Amino acid sequence: MAVLAVDGVKKRFGGVTAVNGVSIALEAGRIYGLIGPNGSGKTTLFNCITGLERIDAGRVRFKDERIDGLKPSQVARRGIGRTFQMIRVFPELTALENLLVVTRGPRPQAERRGRELLQFVKLAGLADEYAGNLSYGQQKLVEFVRVLMTDPTLILLDEPAAGVNRTLLNDLLAAVARLRDEGRTILLVEHDMKVVMGLCETVFVLDHGDKIAEGPPGIIQADERVIEAYFGR
Amino acid sequence: MRLSPAVVLPALAVVLAALVLYPFVGTGYGVRAMLQIFMWIALAGSWNLISGLTGYVSFGHVAFFGAGAYTGAILVASAGWSWPVAALAGGIAAALLALFIGYPCLRLKGPYFAIAMLGLNEVLRALVSYFEGLTGGGNGLSLPTLDATRAIYYVMGVLAVAVTAMTYAIITSRFGLRLMTIREDEIAAEAMGIDTFHHKLAAFLLSAVGPGIAGALTARDQGYIEPLSVFPLAITVTMIVMVLFGGKGTVWGPVLGAAALFVIQEIVWARYPYVHPLLFGAIIVAVVLLMPRGVLGLLQLKYRLPRTI
Repeated sequence: MAVLAVDGVKKRFGGVTAVNGVSIALEAGRIYGLIGPNGSGKTTLFNCITGLERIDAGRVRFKDERIDGLKPSQVARRGIGRTFQMIRVFPELTALENLLVVTRGPRPQAERRGRELLQFVKLAGLADEYAGNLSYGQQKLVEFVRVLMTDPTLILLDEPAAGVNRTLLNDLLAAVARLRDEGRTILLVEHDMKVVMGLCETVFVLDHGDKIAEGPPGIIQADERVIEAYFGR
Repeated sequence: MRLSPAVVLPALAVVLAALVLYPFVGTGYGVRAMLQIFMWIALAGSWNLISGLTGYVSFGHVAFFGAGAYTGAILVASAGWSWPVAALAGGIAAALLALFIGYPCLRLKGPYFAIAMLGLNEVLRALVSYFEGLTGGGNGLSLPTLDATRAIYYVMGVLAVAVTAMTYAIITSRFGLRLMTIREDEIAAEAMGIDTFHHKLAAFLLSAVGPGIAGALTARDQGYIEPLSVFPLAITVTMIVMVLFGGKGTVWGPVLGAAALFVIQEIVWARYPYVHPLLFGAIIVAVVLLMPRGVLGLLQLKYRLPRTI
């Protein structure tokens, strides 16, 4: 049973069809990759899933419930967490406050969990620093653990590796693998092919809003249409 | 820099005790001036709740003051209610108005919301002028004579304390932090599961109650109101400048801004009645250019003050 089923989703902006009837299905406890050249509709598809964009046609089902048409906050509360391609932390909130705002229930527990997660990404010493004062990589980590604070079933990561140094990246990838082992589902957009090939079990390829290929990374890499989309004929 | 409760609480108690005793020793002018400062603290503090925290700049916040003033005045003058009850009714009327207006307007983003609020104030002023039977129209509305300055001083003082205490409670809570996420990045807030619309609406309702009560109290205190006296844009602008000066999104910024600017205004107004608007404009420009976060905002960043400041 698919955790997330995107079925024939279309999204147009004026005359541009950003996503053209894309269908993907994600099973629980797996890591999926979403790749494609710039402007192929990856981020738009993320926005369609999370409710930031209203879809023009098709359906999005999450755990057997239709979620297209819901507000982003409603989608998030159902268990879909995401990060953004351009980091979106709350700059004038501290690192810890960035994590607290997404929590409900007793505050002491939330603070403890928040500090644990900051410890986990080696930012414990910066818990009370304004997020806006942190470096790019640190902000990226804050954004990543902020998603974890909501305890999501499905995690959408938009270019988690971009701008992150090697050591940090390895920690991050290990963390993603661990999330998968906990039974969570991860869909990531990534340009770094090493990351995609090393981590993802299934890869979807978009080009000009169409899904042109789907399969294990090894096979995708050799696919004629994929090579053509990336390098031209 | 840490301010321990052991220092802060006694200091606050001393200030409050002095303010309670003040009407017995102060001059008539002094008591009236303090009453005005209380009113400005309540107004500026209320504006801060919606605009300082969520970043949704309300350019028509005086509408709630005016709505409260007319509600209170009509209930006292026509229905014979006692003024404290009428003041509460003024607060409730303002909150209802906020609910009614907030529903459509808070869906607007940034500048559009600011303009819509400006329009709201003009519409209210026109409505009040039009329904002469109830409001006296342009002739204004007179209330029965009553000298209650001292009682109003205390009630306005309690209102100022209540608004400040509410601000403290909100800013130190996750609800307050969520309001700030709207200011920081509304899309990210939504994507993280924060229902931004209902958070804004709640803040907007809370921000309307104080001005509504303050309006009704002011109407009672002055004994006469007219559309131009309770719906002037200048009151909104003054609230905004006070908060910007003191520090938007902080607990004590509106208190500091209200007290400091009121005193400056009184001094300048007494000496140079004609340049006083000019000075106010100069302060706005100076604050925006030199310290866009206001006095406390600047200190907060520099000395890492806690949110309780």
